[in-house]
Amino acid sequence: MISVAGVTKAYRDGAVRRQVLRGVDLELGPGGTVAIVGPSGSGKSTLLNILGALDTADAGTVRIDGVDVSASRPVALAGFRNRSLGFVFQFHQLLPDFTAIENVIMPGRIAGRSANSLRGEGMDLLAQVGLADRAADFPQQLSGGERQRVAICRALVLEPPVLLADEPTGNLDAASGEQVLELLDGLRRRRGTTMVLVTHNPEVARRCGSVLRLDGGRLTPA
Amino acid sequence: MGFVWHVALRYFRSTRADAHIRVLSSLTAGGLAVGAAALVLALAALSGFQNHLLADLSRHTPALQLELAGSGAGAAGDADAEEESAALAAWAGATNGVSAVQELLYARGWLAVGASVEQVEVLGFEKAPPVWIPVGDRTARGLIVPMAVAQKLGLAVGETVRVFSPRPGLTPLGPRPRTRTLPVAGIYRSDRADYEELPVLLPLEEAAALFAGGDRRLDLALEPDAEPEQVAGFLRETVDPADATVIGWREANRALLFVLRLEKSLVFSAVVLIVAVAAFALLASLSLVLSSKRSEVGALAAMGAPPARLHRIFLALGALLSVGGAGLGGALGAGVAAFLDRFRVISLPPDVYIVEYVPFLVRGSDVLIVVASTVVFTGAASLLSARKASRLDPVEAMRSART
Ligand SMILES: Nc1ncnc2c1ncn2[C@@H]1O[C@H](COP(=O)(O)OP(=O)(O)OP(=O)(O)O)[C@@H](O)[C@H]1O
Ligand SMILES: [Mg+2]
Repeated sequence: MISVAGVTKAYRDGAVRRQVLRGVDLELGPGGTVAIVGPSGSGKSTLLNILGALDTADAGTVRIDGVDVSASRPVALAGFRNRSLGFVFQFHQLLPDFTAIENVIMPGRIAGRSANSLRGEGMDLLAQVGLADRAADFPQQLSGGERQRVAICRALVLEPPVLLADEPTGNLDAASGEQVLELLDGLRRRRGTTMVLVTHNPEVARRCGSVLRLDGGRLTPA
Repeated sequence: MGFVWHVALRYFRSTRADAHIRVLSSLTAGGLAVGAAALVLALAALSGFQNHLLADLSRHTPALQLELAGSGAGAAGDADAEEESAALAAWAGATNGVSAVQELLYARGWLAVGASVEQVEVLGFEKAPPVWIPVGDRTARGLIVPMAVAQKLGLAVGETVRVFSPRPGLTPLGPRPRTRTLPVAGIYRSDRADYEELPVLLPLEEAAALFAGGDRRLDLALEPDAEPEQVAGFLRETVDPADATVIGWREANRALLFVLRLEKSLVFSAVVLIVAVAAFALLASLSLVLSSKRSEVGALAAMGAPPARLHRIFLALGALLSVGGAGLGGALGAGVAAFLDRFRVISLPPDVYIVEYVPFLVRGSDVLIVVASTVVFTGAASLLSARKASRLDPVEAMRSART
């Protein structure tokens, strides 16, 4: 499902070259879950962006759901991202001009479906994270944790085969974190979703099939 | 509603939340409104004037002219020319769509009263004087003299004048100047501009006898329902260009028509600058919207919105920001123009202009030009920012929001 080999990535800040990834390998079958832990600045978000075809690796190959992501330009992969990937961004990235429910169904709208046909599924998801009564609120009216849960619902609304989540429970208390994990578990059982979760939360890591540590630009078993 | 318009409408709504964008987008709408209104009004005023001017002109000039070639030969040629002119006139008169034909003859000659001599343009006319000569008595036989010439020579109606031709006549006694003494039958004052030399008119027979070698012309009047271009086309195909040239009303007034068109283009170019400035305001507000929405546009791209759709969102937003203002302005301009025309609000000194009020005519084609130019300017502004939006790097854009 996810097959990463020898991925490297460096950023250039003027004359300074910062090698963030130094040869990352990762194999994950369908329905597999992996937690990635590691210190701040170690490149976890960078790796997730490369997996999500939002960024390109300097070297190495990335195959996701049968698509050679590393061979295509990111813009050419828009349709692939919409169909096959669900994203939970580290900084939720909700659209402030749209209500919670509108944010949740946005990937479906991008896919060309009508708001009416998506509303039921969106409301269902919001209910599962305890936000059914906040559906009509705009992001500004929501707390950080509430926004994060809306962002998770958005990533799941099209039931993508692959979920890439950057600290999905970062802002959540134990109870709502548990709700989110239940939601993810349910989806994995029902749809066999493959998941890569970046997390600092031991409870999240414990529930994943494997835990890998990103440090010094390489992934190693934690 | 589709995804593109949904997002564009929300972004449009959000332009009211940010003070800077609100000012700029109001400036855009206001500028486009003023620009469109000014364009519609200016073009309507010009069209109104031109309409009057052309109507006046077409009353004064024949619909079609046939200019005969080959004048100016010897004495034998003179008779030929006369015959040819008559034959062509008879034939043209029988052509479909032609209601009347008038034979004319142009030449230069002299008028002499006592010791004063004046060189003049002479126009021989068949039947009655041409309609564009404003003379009271159209049946009087004799010379019809423009006011300026009459004043120079001290002429009054009823007095006699000697007319000289520059071409000598051959008599048994040798060449002698051709001359005739004719009574002044009328004096006219033209409302046409002073810069063109006004002719002295006399009946065609007299003119032909004096100025046999002059330039001959046939003026054709058309049936009311005849298509001038069609008749002209038929004549052009049929008449041998060696015999005569067909000149349409538009060709005869080519210089004037050119000036009218030029005037309209110049006014248009000046006024369209308002629209151009408004388009800059549109570009600025779209850029501000884009920079304030960078991370969101990046998120949309990350979720799989293809660049073409991000492009369309900003085109749609540009349209939303401009259509209202431009439409309102255009409608306002048309309304004001109709009002000013209907109630003749702006009056003019009647002895200077051909109309006593400023006429406005809102033409469909003018409105179309205003719409087109507005679309071009605002479209260009929208395209620029739309292109920027569609080329956003999603990761870069989403990072920018946090720093
Ligand atoms: N566009 C960029 N330009 C320059 N440097 C970058 C860019 N993106 C990331 N970096 C650098 O790459 C390194 C890894 O960043 P990344 O966001 O992947 O870290 P992370 O492991 O997700 O950290 P955190 O746990 O704090 O989110 C950081 O040092 C960061 O400064
Ligand atoms: Mg990160």
